[in-house]
Formats: sequence, C-alpha cells, structure tokens
Amino acid sequence: MTPLLELDRISKRFGGLHALADVSFTVACGEILGLIGPNGAGKTTLFNCISGLHPPSSGTILYAGSGGLMRINGRKPEQMTALGIARTFQNIRLFNSLTVLDNVRIARHCRTHANFVRAVLRTRFQRAEEQAIVEAAMERLRFVGLAHHALADAGNLAYGDQRRLEIARALATEPRLLLLDEPAAGMNPRETRRLVDLIQAIVATGVTVILIEHDMKLVMSICRRLVVLDHGTHIAEGPPAAIRENPRVIEAYLGRGAVHA
Amino acid sequence: MMGRAMVAQAKRLLPVAGVLLLTYPLWPGASEYVLHVMTLALVYMVLAMGLNIVPGFCGLLDLGYVGFYGIGAYTAGLLTIHYDLSFWVIVPLAALNGALWGALLGAPTLRLTGDYFAIVTFGFSELVVLFLTNEIWLTRGPLGLPGIAPITLNLSWLHPQWYFEFYGKAPNFYLAALLVAGVYFVMTRLEDSRLGRAWYAIREDPLAAACCGVDILRYKVIAFAISAAIGAMGGCFYARWSMFLSPDMFKFWESFLVLCMVVLGGLGNIKGALVGAAILVCLGELLREGLGAVGLPPETRFMAYGLIMVLIMRFRPAGLFPAIAASGRANPLLAALSRRIAAGDFAGDRGDNRDTPA
Repeated sequence: MTPLLELDRISKRFGGLHALADVSFTVACGEILGLIGPNGAGKTTLFNCISGLHPPSSGTILYAGSGGLMRINGRKPEQMTALGIARTFQNIRLFNSLTVLDNVRIARHCRTHANFVRAVLRTRFQRAEEQAIVEAAMERLRFVGLAHHALADAGNLAYGDQRRLEIARALATEPRLLLLDEPAAGMNPRETRRLVDLIQAIVATGVTVILIEHDMKLVMSICRRLVVLDHGTHIAEGPPAAIRENPRVIEAYLGRGAVHA
Repeated sequence: MMGRAMVAQAKRLLPVAGVLLLTYPLWPGASEYVLHVMTLALVYMVLAMGLNIVPGFCGLLDLGYVGFYGIGAYTAGLLTIHYDLSFWVIVPLAALNGALWGALLGAPTLRLTGDYFAIVTFGFSELVVLFLTNEIWLTRGPLGLPGIAPITLNLSWLHPQWYFEFYGKAPNFYLAALLVAGVYFVMTRLEDSRLGRAWYAIREDPLAAACCGVDILRYKVIAFAISAAIGAMGGCFYARWSMFLSPDMFKFWESFLVLCMVVLGGLGNIKGALVGAAILVCLGELLREGLGAVGLPPETRFMAYGLIMVLIMRFRPAGLFPAIAASGRANPLLAALSRRIAAGDFAGDRGDNRDTPA
C-alpha cells in the first residue's frame, strides 16, 4: 500500500490541555479510514491539524505530494486545500446567504486563476473559466444529488441536503484526501443510507477518505480499518471486528469494569 | 400581490425617472442648488460603492473610510496646485495612492477581527486628519487649499477649438454621473467573479472560506485596497469640483455618514449603496434647512442619522436591498442554468438512483 498521509507523534496543546498526545498512524491511498472515539477524544482537533486550521504543537505530518512524501506541518488551510486536502465540518459551515451553486463555485477558487483585471474586462479567458467553474460545480452537485437545488439559498436546504452540499463543496476543490467530520450526525436512517452510498461513490473515484463518525453501524459497514482515539491518545487501530473486541476500546466507551461485565 | 404589482410598476418607471434626473441640468429654470445637491449625491454614491466592498462584501467594519477620501482629495489638490497636472492623469494617480495606503494599512491590521479592526481604521482616519492639519509645509494646515483649478478636457490636438473647462454645475454633474457609472460597472463585474465570490465567502464564514482555498488575508487586503482606491477617486473629483479643501472636511462624521448609506441600502448590495447615498444626501439637505428653521444648529442632523441607524437595525436589519451577490443572478450562464433546472434537466438526478435498500 502506498501511504497518502503519515502522522508521526502529533501533539496539540491548548494552554495546559493536551488535546492530542503523540498520535501516529498512516493512511493509505484509496482507503476509507474510520476515526472513532468518545466525545472530546481529539478527533476534530486532529482534523484541524491536518487541514491547517490549528497547526500541531509538535510532531510531523507527511503527505504524498507530487515529489514524494513531504512535511506539511504549519501550512495554512488554503495551502492544504491546494495540496488536495479537503474537509467538511461537524457543525455545518455553509455560506448560508449564497446559493447552493455559489457555495460550490467558491470551492473552485484554488483551481482557477481569473484576477481583478480579467474580471473587470471580462476577457475571453475569464468567461471560459466562469463557464468551466459552473460546469465543474454542477458536476459535483449532480454527484451528490443537489443539482435541481442549484439556485436555492444554501441556508434554506433541508438538514441532510446541507450535509451533502458541504461534501459537494469539498469535492469541488479536487481533493485527494477528504476529511469527513460526522457527516451522518442528525440524519435519519434513509438519509444515512444515501450518505453511505455517496461516500462509497467518492472512494470509487479514487479519493481517500478519513471519516469521523459516531454511528457505529455506518463506520463498521464502510471502513476496512479504524483508528480509535481517547483523551488525545491513539489507543487502538485495526479492522472493525478486532476493534469491537478490543478491551481498551470498550473501556474508553463504557468505562472501567465494562470489559468483564 | 398588491405590493409586488407596485414594485413592478415602480421598476417600469425607473428608466423614466433616470432620464428625467439625468437631463435635469438641461431643463429651463434648473436650480443651481438642486444640481449641486445632485452632484454631491453622486460623489457619495461613489464613496458608498467603494466602502461597500469592505463591510458589505467582506463583512469587516471599516470606520476610517474618509481617510482614503481625504488622501485622494489632497493628492489631487496638491498635484493640481504644484504640478498643474490634468484631472485625467490625477484620477489614476490618486486611486493608486489610495490603494497604496489601503494596502499599507490593511496588510498588518486585517489580521485583526471585528471591533479591533474597526478601532484601527478609526484611528487611521483621525491620523489622516491630524496629518492634514499639522503638516503645514505640505497642506497649509487649517488654512486649507484654496484655488484648485477646475477640471479641463483638452482635446485641442484633435481640433483646435476642443478645449473645455468644467466651470458651472452641469459639466461637473455629468462627469460625476460618468464616474458613478464607471464605478458601478466595475463593482458589478467584480461582484460576479472569482474575486467577488471569495469576498462573500469571507463575509459568510472565514474559516470555511480558508478551507475552500481562499487566502483570507490576501483577499481582505485586495478588498481594502480597491475600496481605498475608489474612495480616493471620489476625493479626487471632489477636490477639483469644490476647488477648495480643508482638513475638517474629512472628519470621522463623514465615515459614519457613508457607512449609514451602505447600511441603509443593504450591506453588500451595490444598488443599495446608490439608493442609500441618494436618500441620505437629500435628507441631509432637508435637515440642514429644516433644523435651521426651528433654531437648531445644523450639526444636529447627525442625531437624525444615528436615529436612522437605530431604526434600520430594529426594523430592517439587512437594509432596503438585502440581497447579496445580486449581479451574478443576471449572468447569462446562470440564466441558462436556471432554464435547464426549470425544464427538469436534473429532475431524474436526485441521487435516488444510488439509494439502496438497507
């Protein structure tokens, strides 16, 4: 397996709080890796480190770029996006007053070039690029099944649609690595089934996915491999079946004593 | 339904009203005073469109906009007095000078958010006034800069008789209208572009914008510089039109007034900025007369502006024209897309085809 992302002893401290302590694992190209753990385990913090929102306090993030593995710690979010790392948010963060289409068009930013002068003169280059942006955006919207809502305001979408719009927006940045932060949170069973299909369709296009999710049925059904965090430390890693039996994991979720109960 | 019909009716009358207003200087018996107020309204429209970029498009409270207006005005005034440069050369120079100071101020301070940024911009505009007041060797301080030559248009290289001086109200009115049209054109094009979308993304959610690949600081600085350049252009016209400048024309009140216009019109709406400017300039003139008649000093009108802000926040927090990213909706690309959606092109594509039974 070729690694896409290698985390080496990542730590993140907020003042005296160790949100992450020496977390290391590797993500292979093309896999769906589940990242699980109780609330406050540091899963979202880890996503923030990888996506550049909060650079890690120590440790190394290696990413397989064009010239082999490179260290990407401390790069800014937009640089991470340009490298091909996209994410969604646990608490949905759409551009609510803008249309569904605009939300996705904004995500084409890092793959397009028209500047101030070209925008004012509306040059042939700029018009062609705008056309391409709309087409690329519509392609992602069709992919997640929101094309017919393209001109609606994002804030007016149903909850499940908003989650899928976030995914479409992330996909429009042409990611190689997609970080999904609890995409099924608040979804009904039908919406969740659609989401599972969507994630599998995304992976089928060659995108690697790291998935934070509390819905264990969902995680167990689509991830071949899981990493478990608890109190900022990496406590287990392996296939779902092994994780389910792992005493440290059971203890993390249910408390000490639960293992023998 | 009644309201909508009335809006449609008003929209049909809009071009007529526009033509009437634009031909006003040609009417027999056109008042010099009214023409002056209309020109002033046009100047404020330029300023309001320029300011709109920062709080409207990017969502950053800018309380120091008048600083750039002042920089543009004094740049134009000094270049005219000392070097006798043509207005047409000065406009781009003043805009560049404004953009330069915008970028110099913005680059270090746009990392600040919310109130902190507002305080820095406020400080900046006070600094500009202090500079204009105290650097007497350059600006003559409180004495002001009198005798700035009016605008000329020298086309004598085309025809020996084509040398025009913009004396009187009508030529300046049309020049200001041209300036408004030019800035409006640029603003609508920017709004419906990659740049404009990046700005709106920053306004809506900076964090998500960064994760979409927008370099937030860079685009804020660009916004600030363009906004400053437009403010400086407004100042440049104002200097050559009024032919006199003094530091107290660029006090904080002016920033607040322009901000009121933008908020009244609707933050982030270009048409709103135009309407807001027209309303508040006319209201200002009415109040100046009205307050004098009841024996109050004309400065009391700022209380009226404050009251308007309060009422807007209470009853119509998004302003008269709340829509943002409005220019984009008229783009032929979107019109085509909207037709395809209406025709049901994407109806069979709701993702249900991937819906598998559990």
